Amino acid sequence: MSTSAIDYTIDHPAVAGTPSAASIDEVIAAPIDSKPSKGWWIGLAITGSMLGVGILSISWLFYKGTGVWGVNQPVGWGFDIVNFVFWVGIGHAGTLISAILFLLRQKWRTGIARFAEAMTIFAVMCALIFPLIHTGRPWLAAVYLFPYPNQHGLWVNFTSPLLWDVFAVSTYFTVSFVFWYIGLIPDFAMLRDRATTKFKKIAYSIFSLGWRHSNRHWQHYEKAYLILAGFSTPLVLSVHTIVSFDFAVSVIPGWHTTIFPPYFVAGAVFSGFAMVQNVLIVTRKYFNLEHIITINHLENMNKVIVLTGSIVGYAYAMEFFIAWYSGNPLEQFVFLNRALGPYAWAYWTMVTCNVVFPQLFWIKKVRTNIIGMFIIGVFVNVGMWFERFVIVVTSLSRDFLPSSWGHYVPTAVDFGVFIGSIGLFFTLVLLFVRVLPVVSMSEIKAVLPGAQPSRH
Amino acid sequence: MSTTQVPYQRKDLPASVTAFGAGATAAGAAIVALTFMFDHSRGLYNNIIGLSVLASVAVGALFYVALEYLAGAVWSTPFRRVMEFLSATVFALVVVALPLMANLHEVFHWTHMEAVAKDPILAGKSPYLNIQFFTIRNIAFAVLWIFFYAMLTRFSRKQDTTRDQKYTRINIRFSTAFMPVFALTTTFFAIDWIMSLEPHWFSTIFGVYYFSGTFLCALAVATFIIVSLNERGYLVAGLGKDHYYSLGTLLFVFTNFWAYIAFSQFMLIWYANVPEETYWFIARWKNGWEYVSLALIFMKFLVPYFVLLSQPSKMDGRKLKFIGIWIFLAHTVDMYWLIMPNFSRSLVLGWQELGFPLLIAGLITLTFVFKARKENLVPIGDPKLQRGIDFKI
Repeated sequence: MSTSAIDYTIDHPAVAGTPSAASIDEVIAAPIDSKPSKGWWIGLAITGSMLGVGILSISWLFYKGTGVWGVNQPVGWGFDIVNFVFWVGIGHAGTLISAILFLLRQKWRTGIARFAEAMTIFAVMCALIFPLIHTGRPWLAAVYLFPYPNQHGLWVNFTSPLLWDVFAVSTYFTVSFVFWYIGLIPDFAMLRDRATTKFKKIAYSIFSLGWRHSNRHWQHYEKAYLILAGFSTPLVLSVHTIVSFDFAVSVIPGWHTTIFPPYFVAGAVFSGFAMVQNVLIVTRKYFNLEHIITINHLENMNKVIVLTGSIVGYAYAMEFFIAWYSGNPLEQFVFLNRALGPYAWAYWTMVTCNVVFPQLFWIKKVRTNIIGMFIIGVFVNVGMWFERFVIVVTSLSRDFLPSSWGHYVPTAVDFGVFIGSIGLFFTLVLLFVRVLPVVSMSEIKAVLPGAQPSRH
Repeated sequence: MSTTQVPYQRKDLPASVTAFGAGATAAGAAIVALTFMFDHSRGLYNNIIGLSVLASVAVGALFYVALEYLAGAVWSTPFRRVMEFLSATVFALVVVALPLMANLHEVFHWTHMEAVAKDPILAGKSPYLNIQFFTIRNIAFAVLWIFFYAMLTRFSRKQDTTRDQKYTRINIRFSTAFMPVFALTTTFFAIDWIMSLEPHWFSTIFGVYYFSGTFLCALAVATFIIVSLNERGYLVAGLGKDHYYSLGTLLFVFTNFWAYIAFSQFMLIWYANVPEETYWFIARWKNGWEYVSLALIFMKFLVPYFVLLSQPSKMDGRKLKFIGIWIFLAHTVDMYWLIMPNFSRSLVLGWQELGFPLLIAGLITLTFVFKARKENLVPIGDPKLQRGIDFKI
């Protein structure tokens, strides 16, 4: 029994040891105060090149048109929507950590919330590429991308969940950004006060909006933070719910199923947590934050991963069972086709990565092993990407009429754009760690041992 | 690892509680008996309502016991016993299921072999929907629930005298194992007893719909009991607004969760407009059932939502007690809405429908009184108890 050391009579602090408030500032601000290392430049070179591949692919797409993609009849939705859903999903962990865990008074969230929120914003930016470029010539389509009075009854089609997506994702992005920014203000002020160069002083002064750490400021700040947390929570649920509606309101077998909304939300949190866990493992090591982002944080994240992974597994099982139970031959065919048809390799990749490997997190040894959890985290993200691929492609490639079946093969440009979105995401992450504090300095100080009023 | 002694004085529950329990049980049983005498089928459908509500209380309460261990929550430790006592109703559940097990043929269309033979869809389902497998499954559910009830409460009780933290660790393990069991058993329980009443209809979210209501119902009953006990000093000193606030928040969360699941199911079926799914909702939108549908939105979502929205009302014991009873009734209406349209296509509501809710309320009360006579109302040996009492938002 490996847990025998835990004493349940005392509250365990969210940070390891008893670091002083000053040392917290030092260690968190170190990456901002110092010059970037060689490793960082190498990282940026790699992610920048990936971004370059993406820019080239998108340029080629704009030059030739969406014909350079693999989508065609009958698979009219391919990489673009797969990647869109994938990236929106990645973003969900950030809001879950920053808003929902805040409402649930989980103190351990303080160490990871800032980073996760930043990743939310970057992930949504990556996601937004896809609806934008799928129009082929977005500058011509600009007028159609925005809702306008609907005399034509075509686009904007207010009864289409694709339009609800526009509202949901843009609202979500705005609120997430404001939430993130509000949380940053006290830290901006801290950086302003520490700034050694004139440029930094001016920049951080502007961003800190005149924050003076006064009592009144803190009172307003706490209220605003709580209200925004309250707003973000239904928003984050609505976003992936509406993304699931894109599929589930249709009558396509394999898409139309009532469990989609909660299943998509759980899947989004699942993949998002895996991504945050992966990036944090590298960050905490690289910037010496192991006492602030402790093994307990990572273990807790892994517990969320095994929970959401099990919910996803439950949904897979329920879909399969009800497909059989419904007695509907089309439903039954779709699920057999997923498991045994031409895309069976994608299906089994999804099942292995999402349902089998994360279950190892039931074991404490695996949950607290850095290398083990990193690998499983990667598997989860691979699996969740394939999940969207399986849902989108298998259902479309073999629909009602066998004579109109087809096979979808993504092209190099498809892959190029996807690689570009990964490049964009990690480039933004690398820039973020250099200019903003990756952990909220003010929040961490509030959970240090001794910071809370003692009742004994 | 020493625990400080929490001052706790065990008191017997007032005789009025026992009197209420006995009265409700007797009155409920009498109405049930009369219903069975005059309209046997109607009695059976009502029996399913009673069964599904009681299962929500019993298994839902066990879910909260396990959830506390798994999440490491401390605020709920001082009243975890209330949940444990409520989950003791798993035994009553078996009794309530007996009349149904003897009369499956009368309520379930899929048991009519001549009809199944003529219907290719039902014939396709018969490997799952047949009396033998149905019986085996449901016995297995009961055995699993009773097993986990016995284990989780046994080690909790042992801790009262030994104060050994070992039992917390053991119970964390049992709780871990219980969670997947809970999800699967309640899902298939709902599919078996409720969804298969309309054997052609299907919805993948149905299990989630049922257990979202289960979370709400068990917590609502527990909230009513916890606040009532605390106001009269049956629990330990020091429990107050911060604990009430947490109960209220959790009720608010699950109110929203239920509404979200209910809306998802309705929205997707309404929008896709596939006849093999929509008829289930259409049956609940004519011949008087539409009023029940509307009442359900009002009772199970709007009222709890607005009552619990503000911070002061989450801390108000009186409001919490009211909403506790209200949500229990709303969940009963929900089960009535799911089940009774299969008995009659036009609205039926009469004295016959009062029998099982009364009986269930009586059985819950009597079980609680019975447990409270023998055991402490507070887990006095739990290592998290002092932290739970000290809990502040």
